[in-house]
Amino acid sequence: MRQTTLSVALEVKPESYDHLSSLLDKLRERRDPDPSGGTGPFADFLTRVPAVHFMSLSVFPGFDYDPLFVIEANFDGEKGPFWAQLESAIGPELRAMLRCCKRPLDNDGPLFDSITAKDARAPIAPYLERRSLTPTVFHHGNRGMTRDRILAEHKLFEATRVELGCANVDGPNPYRSLTPRQIHAKLRAAVHPDFTWLDETAPKRIPLAQNIGDWVRLIGFIVAAVFVLSLPGLFLSLAMPWERYLILLAVVFVGIAMRLKQIGVALPGTAVATRFSFLKFFFSQLIPLVLFVLFYLVVAVAIGTPLSMLATARHFDAAWHGMVIWLLWGLAGAPVVIAGIVLWLRVIERRDASQDAPPVDPVMLREMARREDWIPQNHMGSLVLIKPGILRMILIRAGHRGLGLVLRIIARKGYLGSMRTIHFAHWAMVNNRSRLMFFSNFDQTWESYLDDFIEKAHAGLTLAWCCGVGFPPTRFLVKDGASHGRQFKEWARHSMAVSRFWYSAYKDLTAEQIERNFRIAIGLRKRTLSDKDAALWINDL
Amino acid sequence: MSILTSRDVLRPGPKGFKAWIQRVVFALMPGFFTFLRRWKPVMKLGNNYLTSRYDDVREVFATDPAFGVVYKPHLDVIMGGQPFFLGMADTEQYRHDTDAMRRVVRPADVPKLAAQTEALGEQIVAGADGRIDVVDTLVRRVTFTMLGDYLGVPDPPGGDLRVWGTRLFEFQFVDQGNDPALRKEVDEIAPALRMHIQNEIARRRIEPGKDDVLARCLALQAAGDPAYSDDFIRTSLTGFIVGGPPQPPMVVPQAMEQLLRRPKVLAEAQAAARAGDDDRLRRYVLEAMRFDPLAPGLPRVALTDWTLGRGTSHAVTIPAGAQVLAAFASAMMDPRRVADPRLFDPNRPASDYMHFGFGLHECFGRHINHATLHLMLKPLLRQPNLRRASGKEGKLTKNGPFAERLVVTYG
Repeated sequence: MRQTTLSVALEVKPESYDHLSSLLDKLRERRDPDPSGGTGPFADFLTRVPAVHFMSLSVFPGFDYDPLFVIEANFDGEKGPFWAQLESAIGPELRAMLRCCKRPLDNDGPLFDSITAKDARAPIAPYLERRSLTPTVFHHGNRGMTRDRILAEHKLFEATRVELGCANVDGPNPYRSLTPRQIHAKLRAAVHPDFTWLDETAPKRIPLAQNIGDWVRLIGFIVAAVFVLSLPGLFLSLAMPWERYLILLAVVFVGIAMRLKQIGVALPGTAVATRFSFLKFFFSQLIPLVLFVLFYLVVAVAIGTPLSMLATARHFDAAWHGMVIWLLWGLAGAPVVIAGIVLWLRVIERRDASQDAPPVDPVMLREMARREDWIPQNHMGSLVLIKPGILRMILIRAGHRGLGLVLRIIARKGYLGSMRTIHFAHWAMVNNRSRLMFFSNFDQTWESYLDDFIEKAHAGLTLAWCCGVGFPPTRFLVKDGASHGRQFKEWARHSMAVSRFWYSAYKDLTAEQIERNFRIAIGLRKRTLSDKDAALWINDL
Repeated sequence: MSILTSRDVLRPGPKGFKAWIQRVVFALMPGFFTFLRRWKPVMKLGNNYLTSRYDDVREVFATDPAFGVVYKPHLDVIMGGQPFFLGMADTEQYRHDTDAMRRVVRPADVPKLAAQTEALGEQIVAGADGRIDVVDTLVRRVTFTMLGDYLGVPDPPGGDLRVWGTRLFEFQFVDQGNDPALRKEVDEIAPALRMHIQNEIARRRIEPGKDDVLARCLALQAAGDPAYSDDFIRTSLTGFIVGGPPQPPMVVPQAMEQLLRRPKVLAEAQAAARAGDDDRLRRYVLEAMRFDPLAPGLPRVALTDWTLGRGTSHAVTIPAGAQVLAAFASAMMDPRRVADPRLFDPNRPASDYMHFGFGLHECFGRHINHATLHLMLKPLLRQPNLRRASGKEGKLTKNGPFAERLVVTYG
């Protein structure tokens, strides 16, 4: 089933900030005296909002803007039914919170009035749906695992623990003397009566249509990006003789390269040692790159030839031949354009200001600390200003779009590379794209989570977040940046707000445990396993 | 034969072409509402407005100051002019009357009613010799017996509470055209029912008997609580008899028909019944009811000019005095708010259902319904080899909005 991540960000009337915060605290207190929540009256969230995995409600205080109320939700299925479920569960509370928000000045004003007027009873779901923001980048840790499946497979896991632990309490455990294959058969026979769904075929975590969609979107994005980068070359090649065109490309490229060599190095005190090299990366990807260029040519020729025939009245042979030549000239210009953009970016990066000691409100810090580490999972929400400039804005949008599409391809097995602690995370832009929000639901402590990011995914993290005002100094979008561990953490803490209300549908489960449960369930769904498969499978028991 | 002694629960339905037209209209209704949801969410027909989307239906139900109930004129006929809270707006008297009845219709009664429902069903199914009409023999008998006993209103001497209740229900909720023939029957039944309940009040005042709703009312009356006048007790019990027991025989057989149409789902529901998993069985029955609920919608009247769906692209201002049909059957099939509405999914959240209405006039007996509707089918579902009877009677037939006959065999 499709999973959805979204957020709703609404500006708050400054005078209502405290009231809204207290409403959120009251809602949180309805859960249970136990700060980890989940067993009090609020536990019915599980049945009333059966789609939700994680949800948070936060208010970000503002210095440059009015406070911002953010609903972050990660759930199964489409957003329409989710909002209806949420309204059914906490509709009156949400309506009171919406009354603390500012009336939108755009066309949503009348809808806002209809739900916030005195004694208003119109459903709030349409308004929340209308104001939903699509993330610029998102990551689903245990992708394709519906909430019900996660809970069901965990029950199965617990049953296997009971069976393995109590198989023979008074004597030697009979499982110890069995072969892996026999262990599988015996365990399956023991748990099967209570888990008859083991006989059913496991739903695919990523259905074929979704898989194809992911690839088509990524390829489409790259084709479009290459086309845009080759546009200057396409126009110049029409206006210049080819010899002069080539000379121009070479001269400009060499000039840019020389300048980049001068300014490409890190500014004093900002370098972080890394083994990553753009050149090495380029050569490692050379074969796919060549294949991709061929693919691009095929696609572009297929699209361009009929248009060319239409525009120039040429025959097919002449049209496609001319199109290939023209596209190749365009491609020849693309490296120069890329080099030019990189140079421009580097010039901007060198002038960027980074904040060495971002202030953190001690009261807010205490509030955050008070809410963290009660369960194996934690939550963070952050909001930063976006650096100005047209190039930066284009790169943020394209970079986020590309990163998001790449994540859909590479993060499919429950993990983000070697990071095994993220359930759901996303970035989204607010305030007319002048601020960037980040929300994450992760395992372990906030410190260890960021350490994990810094060590294992600093390039992606830097790419996604380097546009934030005050972010540690970066090079070429992906270098340094988040690798400045201490500075990055202080910056991240500075940008965070208290997660006043946070809900997890499976508060005791780590992303790793969910994958483990999944593997155990997949094994138990099979009636028999080969010796080799069984030997691998029992590692998870 | 006088209507007071009649045993025909339903009036004769239309025959021939008229009956065929009625069937076609009912069959086309889901498609029609799908069209409306997509293209004309609030449709005007003269002075009537049809609302078909989940959000709009919910808004109509929730906004009772703008959309009032239309029941008072017919209720006045049935109650002899005495006020009953079903016909009221959200007034002090409404709150007073509903509070008073909540003191005698108690949450603690629900488990007992559930047990009684299941036992009665068990007894009927066991005595049916492998073949039963789900509508009349099973559900109607269980409902009227159980609720009549609980309320303290037995069958009238020489009469049949099932006939009286169902006729008055038809007059109150179905008869939009003010059929003179039906009105004639109502003019006989209504005073007779009021008289019957008044007689019971008098009888029970002398012989209190068992603990039921009537006995509790009389005890409070005797304790000096001014809320429980004879008029109030009689009117409330009359209202409960008219509004309550005639409904399960409509909707529960419809749910059974939906289960029979889906053999895999039926097998799962039977497994839940056999395992005694009442919660799971309830989910199956509620979900089955979503595919053929009690009615397409409930009527309301606009009390003031009101813009429905304000701020949306389909906002419509409904003038005061216009009739509005809040089509809750369509709302429960709206993919904008109900995930995969065409999929039979017994694990749906409560927000996907509006079986018992919503807002001020949400069914007073919803907790009883929630606890008992599925148990009416449970004894039947536990039977082996449960299947439709052969021929026409094995398929649910309807007489207007009423389920008429559905015969199943088992064993």
